[in-house]
Amino acid sequence: MDKAPQGLRVIDFTWVLAGPFATRILADWGAEVIKIQSKVTMPEGEQNTSGYFNTWNRNKLGIALNLSKPQGVEIAKRLVDISDIVVENFTPRVMRNWGLDYDILRKVKPDLIMLSMSGMGQTGPMRDCTAFGATIQALSGITHLTAFPGQPPLGLGYSYADHVAGLMGALAVLEALEDRRKTGKGQYIDLSELEAMSTLLGTAILDYSVNGRIASPVGNRPIHRLAAPYGAYRCKGEDRWCAIAVFTEEEWVAFCRVLGYPLWTKEERFSTLSDRWQNIDQLDLLVEEWTKERSPEEVMSILQEAGVAAGVVQNATDLSRDPQLQSRDFFVGIEHPTLGKISFDGSPIKLSDTPAQFKRAAPLLGQDNDYVYRELLGMSESEISEYTSAGVFG
Amino acid sequence: MSALYGLRVLDLADERGAFCTKLLADMGADTIRIEPPGGDRIREAGPFIKDIPDPEGSLCFWYHNTSKRGITLNLENIKGQEIFRKLASTADVIVESFPPGYLEKLGLDYEELKKINPRLIMTSITDFGQTGPYKNYKSCDIVASALGGQMYVCGDRDTPPLKPYGEQAYLVSSLFGAIGTMLALHRRHLCSEGQHVDVSMHECIAGVIEHVNVRYLYEQVTAQRQGTLHWNNAFRIFPCKDGYILLSLFQQWDTLVEWLESEGMAADLKDEKWRDHQLRLEEIDHVIQVLEQWTLKHTMTELMEQGQAMHFPWAAVNSVEELMDNVQLSERGFFVEVSHTKSNASFEYPGAPYKSSESPYRILRRAPLIGEHNEQVFGEELGFSEAEIAALLSAGII
Repeated sequence: MDKAPQGLRVIDFTWVLAGPFATRILADWGAEVIKIQSKVTMPEGEQNTSGYFNTWNRNKLGIALNLSKPQGVEIAKRLVDISDIVVENFTPRVMRNWGLDYDILRKVKPDLIMLSMSGMGQTGPMRDCTAFGATIQALSGITHLTAFPGQPPLGLGYSYADHVAGLMGALAVLEALEDRRKTGKGQYIDLSELEAMSTLLGTAILDYSVNGRIASPVGNRPIHRLAAPYGAYRCKGEDRWCAIAVFTEEEWVAFCRVLGYPLWTKEERFSTLSDRWQNIDQLDLLVEEWTKERSPEEVMSILQEAGVAAGVVQNATDLSRDPQLQSRDFFVGIEHPTLGKISFDGSPIKLSDTPAQFKRAAPLLGQDNDYVYRELLGMSESEISEYTSAGVFG
Repeated sequence: MSALYGLRVLDLADERGAFCTKLLADMGADTIRIEPPGGDRIREAGPFIKDIPDPEGSLCFWYHNTSKRGITLNLENIKGQEIFRKLASTADVIVESFPPGYLEKLGLDYEELKKINPRLIMTSITDFGQTGPYKNYKSCDIVASALGGQMYVCGDRDTPPLKPYGEQAYLVSSLFGAIGTMLALHRRHLCSEGQHVDVSMHECIAGVIEHVNVRYLYEQVTAQRQGTLHWNNAFRIFPCKDGYILLSLFQQWDTLVEWLESEGMAADLKDEKWRDHQLRLEEIDHVIQVLEQWTLKHTMTELMEQGQAMHFPWAAVNSVEELMDNVQLSERGFFVEVSHTKSNASFEYPGAPYKSSESPYRILRRAPLIGEHNEQVFGEELGFSEAEIAALLSAGII
């Protein structure tokens, strides 16, 4: 009994990133997550041997189950009956069309916790919108705001909102488990990825609802807390940069010391934080004169040694060699049945007594059919062969 | 009833963990924000109501401290530490974000507090975590975004790396922190013991960069910036008559070409050869050029509505104003009114990140004023007399 959600079983109908990221957290802490896939109904991108699939589905079991067959739906219900949690992230009509929506499943398993994650939520005029992470980011405002001042939107270029929704989804399930422990009741969680993402833009939203101000892009400038210098500064080398942030007077003094007190650091236009902020463009140019003669690693290390926040703008290669990530075992290696040794990011959550465990790679399609159908559901040989020939396990 | 009703959280965290404790408070935990006498530095964060700097008027503080109670207590004072220990003995969770080693100097580190309260869970949300060669280094939102591998892939080929808007590093670290706290709570039901949750902001960002680590670890590809083009070329932002629209480039190709053709804007894309996905990827600049001529003839709303009607995952690139006018969000009651007695007004806040049928997540009240609940907590709950409270106040302890 040393794992947090140990003893819990999750039926996982999720795909792409948002849903799998949520159930991965439950699996990392010992929940038995059974991922349902099908050659027939499997969406593109859910290829079991891709790096993408393997990264978001480690620690999960996998079965092949064709939900376009009525028998497939019946088997899914039998699984729900012996499980605690169902997670899905289709557009709202999909589970309903299969007859696997909460109103039906709660009759199968009255204290079921079911999490539905969709772009817009299960209700409302836009509920059937087709949405991926990029869609949500555009609608939420973060794409518009992620730009240089006065320039067209650039956005994030990847599906950050899917991670956010996955984290909120995992949190919602853990909350519902806490509630079930007290009341004995399950519940239905309707997660709209747009709403989840919008809760991470709260201050900009309040600035509008309180002050009527429509937030505009700030590039790499600070927004809530004054700091100068602050930004990404060009360093020596091809596309090498270092982020620097100087908040306090003490940090400014240390910064000037590291630079060897060039004359400009003593000029009146930079004497206080507010002066530096007023003249930030000029300050940035002077700081960059210094950084561009040095590697970002050197800039980071001498500033950090002096007590100033600084960090290399790391790319994927840098991350793989990052000494801090290495010392905390951020990347984890594991054996995959066909790919050999594979690696992925572990978990940023370090629990002192019950750490995440990385016991197995993501499943191949139907890898755990035997365990699930024979052991968990107790199917006989004849049932198995009947379903197999009817294409139910396809 | 809220799921965390009856649970007590002590909140010592700065901006790194304020959203974590907001989540726990909105889930119903009695969350007591502990600030130094005179108020916390995070109240200096702008913007402010009416743009007047005021520790009681920081919108950033307001949003991240809903549903909490607030007390003041000087943890660097011996008497203050004694009071804190009393509080800690009544608490289930402490969330903190001090540099590693700071609480130990005060004798208030997890090992010490666990002696008086073995069920206590402590969640530490810090720049680099409690261990490792960088543990004493400093970080902040932009440094975390840089070191975590996020900034490098945001922006265009010819621009500097770009930090995503908002203090996302603090928010996402808070989310991981809240999940870690809940995992520790679950485990506590099984063994009655608390544990320490160590969350590193650096790792949190490195853990939410989708393709970046995956492509390096599987294909030895170092992802680069490519402007508004999504990393896998699936989406791109286009200018239109009145703003910008996000289009998917390759879904339902035939439908898309038919649509363009019906307006005489398909150019050569109607050629059979463009049905080859690989060719479209190789000649993506040409595809983009043709699409851009077309999007410029339309408004955001036209493209989004007609596109969505045909199941294209398209979206208007909204401003915050457009987000707040979104009919879907209003229909679902996403924005909620929170009343502020001091300003004698109510303001709209983003509400619940998800809708739970049985244990609703909700904002119970506005953020606390400085020391607003001192009397309640020190007097009614810890049993200090009025005279004792007055003495603590004048000694600068509370």
